Amino acid sequence: MLVFALRRLNLFIFTMLLLTLLSFSLSFLFPGDAIINISGAINATPSELVEIQKSYQTDRNIFWQYSAYLRHIVNGDLGLSMASQSKISSEVLNLLPATIELSLVALLIAMFVGIPLGFIAAIKHNKPADNIILSVSMLGYSIPIFWLGLLAILTFSINLGWLPSAGQISLLFEIKLVTGIKFIDILLSDSPYKWQAFADASAHIILPACVIAVAPATIFVRLARTSMIEVLETSYIRAARAKGLSFQQIIFRHAIRNALIKIIRHVGLQFANLVTIAMVTEVIFSWPGIGRWLIESIYQRDFTAIHSGLLVLACFIFVVHILTDFIYAALNPLARGNKYGS
Amino acid sequence: MARDKIYLEEVFPSPFMQLWQIFRKTPVAMAGFSCFIFLVILAIFAPILAPHSPIDGQLDMLLLPPAWHVDGNISYLLGTDELGRDMLSRLMYGTSLTFGLSFIVVVISLIVGVVIGSLSALTSGIKSSFLNHFLDVILSIPSLLLAIIIVAILGPSISNTVWAVVMVLIPQFVHITRYAVKEESRKDYVLASRLDGASPFRILYYSIFPNIVDRIMSQATLAQSAAILDIATLGFLGLGAQIPLPEWGAILANGLDLFYIAPWTVYLPGLAILFAVVATNLVGEGIRHALKLRKER
Repeated sequence: MLVFALRRLNLFIFTMLLLTLLSFSLSFLFPGDAIINISGAINATPSELVEIQKSYQTDRNIFWQYSAYLRHIVNGDLGLSMASQSKISSEVLNLLPATIELSLVALLIAMFVGIPLGFIAAIKHNKPADNIILSVSMLGYSIPIFWLGLLAILTFSINLGWLPSAGQISLLFEIKLVTGIKFIDILLSDSPYKWQAFADASAHIILPACVIAVAPATIFVRLARTSMIEVLETSYIRAARAKGLSFQQIIFRHAIRNALIKIIRHVGLQFANLVTIAMVTEVIFSWPGIGRWLIESIYQRDFTAIHSGLLVLACFIFVVHILTDFIYAALNPLARGNKYGS
Repeated sequence: MARDKIYLEEVFPSPFMQLWQIFRKTPVAMAGFSCFIFLVILAIFAPILAPHSPIDGQLDMLLLPPAWHVDGNISYLLGTDELGRDMLSRLMYGTSLTFGLSFIVVVISLIVGVVIGSLSALTSGIKSSFLNHFLDVILSIPSLLLAIIIVAILGPSISNTVWAVVMVLIPQFVHITRYAVKEESRKDYVLASRLDGASPFRILYYSIFPNIVDRIMSQATLAQSAAILDIATLGFLGLGAQIPLPEWGAILANGLDLFYIAPWTVYLPGLAILFAVVATNLVGEGIRHALKLRKER
């Protein structure tokens, strides 16, 4: 396990270096002065500019500039937003939790809907139920997400009036920002209308989370189906059947556990996909997350925000990736490397 | 002079032909394939087939509903938008932008990706390991996010969208080609031709490529559906095709304000995107199904 952890850590550091290098080179690729792109100080007086240039070491060669940039990032200084002149790091800290909340809820929905459906499809392999689940899942990952979001708003918010169509919570509730994740904040607050606020926040998250969940759920259906089919063909299942276990016992005691492990491995990869979908959905549902902020900063040509936003989002995705790797390794001894005799 | 075959000659179809013979026996895949061909034809001949101009509007025909509606007009089959532009013609021209451009995007990134991938499969050691890690990093960033960043650097326009999506798709092709070439070159028939003294490029061209073409095709359909969705999404966000261009995502974004008065301006482009992506995915499923059957033989 230690070797495994060290190897992951190594990969993590390497990836972070590459990502910061990418984001550092972006400041040169964007139009305009590199030092202003990187610090976002568009209104700086000449004396302030000299100060900034000194802190980013622009007079020395590119390697020193990069290490100065790294030092700024490690200290949590991502520069100022060109549009609002506020600190990007604090903006990101306010916005990222909303995205984390939305994408985690969507991921849970996708897993709870997709995986059982995939298992059913695998158990009914080559029967009508399998074909129906497969065709519906193909429709699910072919549907353009923004169109689906609009249709969902039209149906559930406007025609039926069941769910709110925009935002994270009704503006009537005053919830103090502590962690940024709305549900935790509501539970921490001492407002008398705590539970109404909780219900309101849940009503707000259902629609966007379901829209985001559609595409990953269909992927989970396919993953669950293939891994279950593989598991059902293995010899230990045949042995269990020879022992005289009933089909249900085989599925619940042996097959599901082994099939689930294979799926967990792919959750990290699917998460990247999910975050992209979440970005577009945030725009449609006016969700105050980092995706909407990033797209808005592209409209405003706020280059500092764009390259810091990329860095933060990519880091977030990669951390989740590594975490799922660890969970997978903890659950599955075979994945910890050193396969003796195989 | 006719050259009759006198001797009974045993013909071995190439891997690609074997695939096609299985593929054509799957009705669903063939249905998807005919829709795909239909879209390709539409994309090429849209200017000849379209009944109206996609950009010039008829000011006395604003927001006409589709023809099957009571107020509809048969010469505007799918209705008009808020500037009196014929939806059918806009969607037809849009085929060549959204679908046609995504096809071109896939072809370019396929060629570049396969060349880089097969070259990298021939190298080994630190260069190869670096490339591997580099690809992992690029592949861990979502494609749409990367495309958005590239568009942010280049500025919003349809040609920049095309370049952005090309750059995003290349790593996937590099990855799959590299993997497939490495896997094939471990097999005995490649060893045989290496023992015959064939140069690496000859082996690559005559022995390996015919055997991995199908896998690359399957990746190409995946890439195509991703490209259609990416181009449409960028168009929808206003970062891709700019205002008068009838790109499907842009048409949809344009109809947003009139969603409640004229829902067809939003339904129709969405359905068009869905149709194109489903057709592409059906072809892809057909190829993957055929690949699996061929392996089991």
